[in-house]
Amino acid sequence: MGLTVLIMVMMACAAVGTASISFRAALEGPGEQATVNPDYEILVNVRLPRILLACLVGAALACSGVVFQALLRNPLADPYILGISSGAGLGAMIAVVAGFSWTLWGRSPIAVFAFIGASGTVWLVWFVGRLTGRFHVTGLLLAGVVVNAFFSAVIMFITSIARADKVYDTIFWLMGYMTAEDFLTLWIGAGFVLSGILALFFIAPQLNALSLGPDNAVSMGVNVKKTRLIAFLVASAITAIAVSLSGLIGFVGLVVPHAVRLVFGPDHRQLLPLSAIVGAIFLIATDTLARVVIAPTELPVGVVTAIVGGPVFLVLLVKYSRQVGWMK
Amino acid sequence: MSGIIEVDNLSFAYTADREILKNISFRVDAGTFLAIAGPNGAGKSTLLNLLCGLLAPDSGTIKVDSMPVGSYSNEALAEKFAVVRQEPVPAFGFSVIEMVLMARTRYFGSMGFESRQDRQAVNEALEATDTAQFAARPLSSLSGGERQRVFIARALAQSSSILLLDEPTSFLDFKHQVAIYDLLKAAQLEKNKTIVTVTHDINLASQYCDQILLLGADGSYYTGNTRTVLSADRIRKVFDVEIFEGKIGQERFFIPLGKSTRERGQSDNKNSQSPHL
Amino acid sequence: MNRWWWLTIGFVCWMAIGFAAFGGRESRVDSESAQTAGRAGRIVSLAPSLTEILFALGLDEEIVGVTLFSDYPPAAAKKPKVGSFWKPNIEAVVAARPDLVITLGFAQHRSLADRLERIGYNCLTVDVEKVSDLFRVIVEIGAASGTQGRAEDLAGGIKNKLQALSDLIGTEEKVRVLWIVQRQPLRVAGRDTFVNEMIELAGGENAIGTTIHKYPPIGAEQIIASRAEVIIEPAMGQEDLNLQRRQAFKYWSKFGNLPAVGNDRICVISGDTVSRLGPRLYDGAETIARCLRPHLFED
Repeated sequence: MGLTVLIMVMMACAAVGTASISFRAALEGPGEQATVNPDYEILVNVRLPRILLACLVGAALACSGVVFQALLRNPLADPYILGISSGAGLGAMIAVVAGFSWTLWGRSPIAVFAFIGASGTVWLVWFVGRLTGRFHVTGLLLAGVVVNAFFSAVIMFITSIARADKVYDTIFWLMGYMTAEDFLTLWIGAGFVLSGILALFFIAPQLNALSLGPDNAVSMGVNVKKTRLIAFLVASAITAIAVSLSGLIGFVGLVVPHAVRLVFGPDHRQLLPLSAIVGAIFLIATDTLARVVIAPTELPVGVVTAIVGGPVFLVLLVKYSRQVGWMK
Repeated sequence: MSGIIEVDNLSFAYTADREILKNISFRVDAGTFLAIAGPNGAGKSTLLNLLCGLLAPDSGTIKVDSMPVGSYSNEALAEKFAVVRQEPVPAFGFSVIEMVLMARTRYFGSMGFESRQDRQAVNEALEATDTAQFAARPLSSLSGGERQRVFIARALAQSSSILLLDEPTSFLDFKHQVAIYDLLKAAQLEKNKTIVTVTHDINLASQYCDQILLLGADGSYYTGNTRTVLSADRIRKVFDVEIFEGKIGQERFFIPLGKSTRERGQSDNKNSQSPHL
Repeated sequence: MNRWWWLTIGFVCWMAIGFAAFGGRESRVDSESAQTAGRAGRIVSLAPSLTEILFALGLDEEIVGVTLFSDYPPAAAKKPKVGSFWKPNIEAVVAARPDLVITLGFAQHRSLADRLERIGYNCLTVDVEKVSDLFRVIVEIGAASGTQGRAEDLAGGIKNKLQALSDLIGTEEKVRVLWIVQRQPLRVAGRDTFVNEMIELAGGENAIGTTIHKYPPIGAEQIIASRAEVIIEPAMGQEDLNLQRRQAFKYWSKFGNLPAVGNDRICVISGDTVSRLGPRLYDGAETIARCLRPHLFED
């Protein structure tokens, strides 16, 4: 566990290092309070919030991916598998197209609606999946697929009848972006994400047991129902928050858990915190790339996570696959 | 922790028209090794699931240490029963020691860490099942027999008073079959665990188990001491197959006879030992 | 579970601290005072149309940042870039140390303006959707940048020229126009667009009736039913207009029934003056008028 602390320090360094990589070479001078000093403004009011946001979202998505993979006992699961992506997308699209301009405590309507969309979809999927009675993984997955398909169709429908520029707005949102949010938003988001990750850490041993199947877990004294409920709720919540803050960033939730599992093993007590950290680092790094690669245009972060993440994952796979049983 | 099981007038049916278990009663004392045997579909696995509380009886009671199974909380029940089921290899590559450690989940501290006691229990279990040398290896790299021993180690590490096993040796070779039963017998004798195993192997049951429960497909059952319950007649009746009973010293063995064997026996009358027909 | 209680308590405390410390939106800028300030020395414009307005107001020296594809006037293309129209780069904007940032009103720009204001920069957000917006916005920008006089002159000038055009057209019957935005799939400009307003200023009317979309895709039936007398296609990019004319002709020849096709009234015009709503509004309207009533302009 000392390893964890070490890596946290690394993360902090990565955060600082990121700033100086950027295309603005003339950087330093924090400490100046005046509005006149753009370097300070950029560092503190633009870069730092963005890095913190990337940190949060990366950690949230990675942990959520870990949990959904455990919950559904499926290594292909990612945080969006149960329809969160299309639900959030639909929410965002409705907000944009309907042209809402009011804000909730200053948070943009897109974020709010995306959150509502994401959470609502999760409940819908849970409800549909449980129509079979008991908790059944396949049922839940199928419900997710169906809901995803349905909402995607609705999104396409709205796309076809909406104004071009509104559609464009949504597309950007859907591709995932990082913005410099204000500190209150960051603080609240951090509150949710950190407590969420901590809650998931509390049930990490139970998640381990759950991967053996519910019957075995029950025999070992684990409260499967409670574990599943907490896991599902918390993972969905932090995903919904991540998505409402930064759009749909793919790949992080699928690949980071795998990468960490390949290198450090499947024990969730390690997997969760490490995935959070690795997810954070990954997203900070890719976001920096997204900003810098073809400045001043910014690439959507989701694009960079896939382009960078893909090869990295392949390398890990080749290097470590012999050690892992399920790759045989 | 004693581990006494009392089943009284237990009935269960999955669907209304087919009753699997009809008014079954038996008692297992602490530290007994019970075998549950019977033809396919007689309800052996069902009975196991009923015992450990996964299924609820339609009528009748199952009591463990004088309290009904249903009245135990999940955690308390885990102190009574440890179950070894037929298991596929799990999707995520846990190592042997991580697997066995999972049995101690309910004892973990608030931050999810194991205590020295837990580690001790795990080590003892690994020693007892002779799997300590595999501790760091992923489960999927072991052979079937080795894997089964790991699952039993996990059940042992749970420190429960009763061990339930569902056909623990069905896919294993002779050597491993015997090894498993030796292991179980040791657990019974050294740790005074009550052991209930569903098995297809009458002979191993006859060798190792003190008590046997023969479940018939028609709802009939016989229970009691292995020596008294097991006889060629009874086995023939329950399994609906011809049986050859033999004896080596004190141990009896039972061999099912198919058509071809019988015919060969009839046409070949020069055998010194004529089969019981 | 003890630790769950701790977690909940911790969570609540965290939120309380957050609201206490950061709650309440403070905008460091008083936007009222910003608009009556003197001439703004450094201006960033986040839309090509706004850039055009700024240049038209004589503020070329003051402009320190524009978006990509700000191509008119040619001097605009040489200005430092601060990102694209859809996603302006906030760092580049801040690095330009603007006294005034002018943005449009859609979601991305609005949230960017929000953030800039929170950091402490002056922002002016305007909506330029209709012709009437244009005149108002020119004046607003004039006010914000200390060039009220020039702004009013500019706006007035455009209005006068449009009035002259209208007088020239007089009471001639309106010409039915089909305005092609895109050929594959076929999309036209609907009635709820600034293009439509330009068409009307030029003495035409949209051959398409009211539609839900601003730029609806339409099918062959509707094309025929429109009985368009003139088809106008703004040209793509800088390619040879003649080439595009020939292509357009070939494409439309299958709609022989349309009056526009029958009378050979397919106009491919340069897209510059009609693609954005800006100070060249009159030029755009005149170009269209030339298409609709060439006889009026034979001079």
